[in-house]
Amino acid sequence: MTSIICDNDNQNKERLSLHVLCLNSESSTVTIVRYCLDRMQQPQVRQLLGNARYDQCPIENPQQLRPSESGDRNPFSFTPQLIHLHKDHEMFEDGDIHRHMYLQDLYTSDKDDKPALSVAEFACHISGCSAVFSSLEEYEHHYNSLHRHVCSSCRRSLPSARLLDIHIQEWHDSLFTILAQNQDMYQCLVEGCGQKFRTSKDRKAHLIGIHKYPPDFRFDKSRKDKGGRETKKQLHKDAAMEVVPDVCKSEGVCEVLCEVLTDQPEKEESMEMHVSEEDVAHMGQCASAGEPADVSAAAHGCTGMEPQKPRYSYRVPTTVCFGHGSVRGFRGRRGRRK
Amino acid sequence: MRTQKKTFPTWCRSCRRGYRHAAADTSERWRPNGTTDPTRNMWRLNKVRHKSGRQGDSLEELRLKRREHERALRQARRDRQLVSRRLLLTEDEDQAEVTMDTASEGQGVVDVFHKIHHSGPDREAHMKVLSKALRDPSAQLTFIKLENSMHLLVGLLTGSDARCRLQAARCLHELSRSPHRDVAPACLPATSYLLTYLSGQSTRFTELCLYTLGNLCPDSEVVQQKLLAQGIIPALASCMEIQRHNPAVVEAVGFTLSQLLQTNDAAVKVIPTVLASSLPAQLLSVLAPDPNFALAPAIESAWCLHYLTSSSRDNKELLSRGALLRCSSLLVSLGGAEGNKEEGLELLVCPLLRCVGNLLCCCPVEELNTAVADPQLVICLCALLQTYLQTQPALARESAWVLNNLTAHSNTFCSALLTFNLVSGMIHLLPFSQGINTLILRVLANIAHKKKDFCVQLAQLGLLSALCATLKMADQEMVTLSLDVLFMLVVSAPQVAEEFVQQGGVSLLEAIQYNSKGEMRGRATYLLEHHLLSQ
Repeated sequence: MTSIICDNDNQNKERLSLHVLCLNSESSTVTIVRYCLDRMQQPQVRQLLGNARYDQCPIENPQQLRPSESGDRNPFSFTPQLIHLHKDHEMFEDGDIHRHMYLQDLYTSDKDDKPALSVAEFACHISGCSAVFSSLEEYEHHYNSLHRHVCSSCRRSLPSARLLDIHIQEWHDSLFTILAQNQDMYQCLVEGCGQKFRTSKDRKAHLIGIHKYPPDFRFDKSRKDKGGRETKKQLHKDAAMEVVPDVCKSEGVCEVLCEVLTDQPEKEESMEMHVSEEDVAHMGQCASAGEPADVSAAAHGCTGMEPQKPRYSYRVPTTVCFGHGSVRGFRGRRGRRK
Repeated sequence: MRTQKKTFPTWCRSCRRGYRHAAADTSERWRPNGTTDPTRNMWRLNKVRHKSGRQGDSLEELRLKRREHERALRQARRDRQLVSRRLLLTEDEDQAEVTMDTASEGQGVVDVFHKIHHSGPDREAHMKVLSKALRDPSAQLTFIKLENSMHLLVGLLTGSDARCRLQAARCLHELSRSPHRDVAPACLPATSYLLTYLSGQSTRFTELCLYTLGNLCPDSEVVQQKLLAQGIIPALASCMEIQRHNPAVVEAVGFTLSQLLQTNDAAVKVIPTVLASSLPAQLLSVLAPDPNFALAPAIESAWCLHYLTSSSRDNKELLSRGALLRCSSLLVSLGGAEGNKEEGLELLVCPLLRCVGNLLCCCPVEELNTAVADPQLVICLCALLQTYLQTQPALARESAWVLNNLTAHSNTFCSALLTFNLVSGMIHLLPFSQGINTLILRVLANIAHKKKDFCVQLAQLGLLSALCATLKMADQEMVTLSLDVLFMLVVSAPQVAEEFVQQGGVSLLEAIQYNSKGEMRGRATYLLEHHLLSQ
């Protein structure tokens, strides 16, 4: 019953236009995906596309699922234009002032009053991020730190592609959860070490003991409460095609690692921050909600959280609007390590 | 430091500001400063005036006052009430005296008025006193409220005593500068005479009448209507014709006309009449770079032409008279002259740029090559861009605007930019904001739009890597435009697409796919899908 997302993270031409959500029956697959791609602007649609599993698999029936109109129309609209400026146009203001200063005998060759020439600012354009920078380097640093390796399921920003992979595997992959019951799945975070552990605690002990990591290493938060609940939840959402409030399921301190959120003045973000502090308190409530039926109740109980945290896979048709305030991050490209 | 009075303008050595020194004999005013090369003097603004302020004012205080004044002017412009009135100095005074004298109180005006009313031979002296007194705004108000004051003044203006006429004109001149709205209409009884005197031969007197009329125009619709009905436009035209060899009068005509052209209804009430007269031809002749060329009249004429071309989109009349050719040629010679850095030159460059920019809008492409004869105009415009970038960014922006209009539909001028190696310089200007980079990017887009070969050249000159930076800018217009330009480059040749990919362009576009704006996402997706990932 696992949901599989076909990740077109290769040189495949269809990479961006296809996002196949394979569920149980063939027909429902087709139906749902078509719906998604036709109704691009509906927030509910995003829910369907949410799954953090990133297997690579060949796309089935790509023609059937390919949307008919998106991306085929040339969106570029530039044509050279003659611009006529009326005498009252604001672009003429400085020159007019200069002229009138001269008429009123206030002209001076004094160069000390030079108007400052300003340099253009750079801005992060990721939807929901409103950071602005005065130099390209600042921009690049911001982007690399906060947007390059972002888990699209929970929006956490990880510092590298590898850590992101591990995060997704351990937090959002139901298959991992199942396998981890019987074998050592938790890999050491240190690249090249290669050791694997049965539990995250074991790994943590290994990191601290062998690799001398700090005990509160920010990028090694463990998950509690894995397994069926998540899958059930998934199905519930998928089938219902409704907006289900996302509930944070982590154990321990749910530190929001995505610093984007601290930068943003937006209300939603502050709610998010609020969430993290209160998470420990709410966690108990949320975690105990086992049935799908209780999800909404649990969500209800977890007030102060965002009403909607869309879950979506990392390759989304770009015509899908993610709504205001939501950060659309994406993980580093698996098939394309630098 | 006050310099000695000389018969020709000089620069004050201590503060490096120019004083306008009135010559005792007006015909000497425009004599060159003893330099042998007349063309060198052609570009020097012979009078660059300044407000000296009180002796006690420090430089910093002066600067503060200027800035305050500038702020007031900006606000006035935003309120569509930007109005200036000029002061013509008398022969025997210089600027420093202007603000030095504390004006007489209202009572003083009344006293003087009565003296004038009743006196005989001393009248002229009293009138001088009166005119000085009328510098004060409250005295102006007092005067017009006095019974029969204007009647008396008009009588003296039209009387048989020539010196009293001059003094009466001077009094009216002072009144015309009043900031109070009631004063200008009060001067209406005199206007028909002032207009009549414009066709006279006394240059100084004519100048005075002209500036007075010019000062009366703004602010009062009643006055404007009256003046138009009384035939101010034909009067100005004939004055300019008669006095065309006298730069001071030409300058004054230009000023007065520019005041009329700035009024609110000018497009309907003034401009058609002006275009039908001989004024356009005369204005253009003032801009001819011949030995008679003088900066100050050229400045006024250029501003008149700017108001004409910017008030309406239909400038066929001016185009047919060769306005585009004249303005663009003058710009080219200004751009190239060593007088490029001369003070005051931007006062002429600015309106010329605007004329060229707006005239280009109504010039059909086929005629462009004859209308703008010199392809070196692009060199001049790029030079102006670089020159004014730091000192007057607004002028740099206007130069970029003209370049856009020049290159929009013309293969010739686009090609010229490439041929003359001007593109790299332009690419280096893309980091600057306040509208400069969007206009420059438009110019580059105009070039790319013409031919695939141009695109390849642009890519070779480094436009791709510049776009990688502009795509990250905060200004949405820049980003959209950058995407459009990128598209044109990428489709022009496969090697351009390859180079873009090599420069890391794909990840850049992928990031844009997460932009909050749909048009950005759509463009990025299209580029990726159709052109960059098809390998």
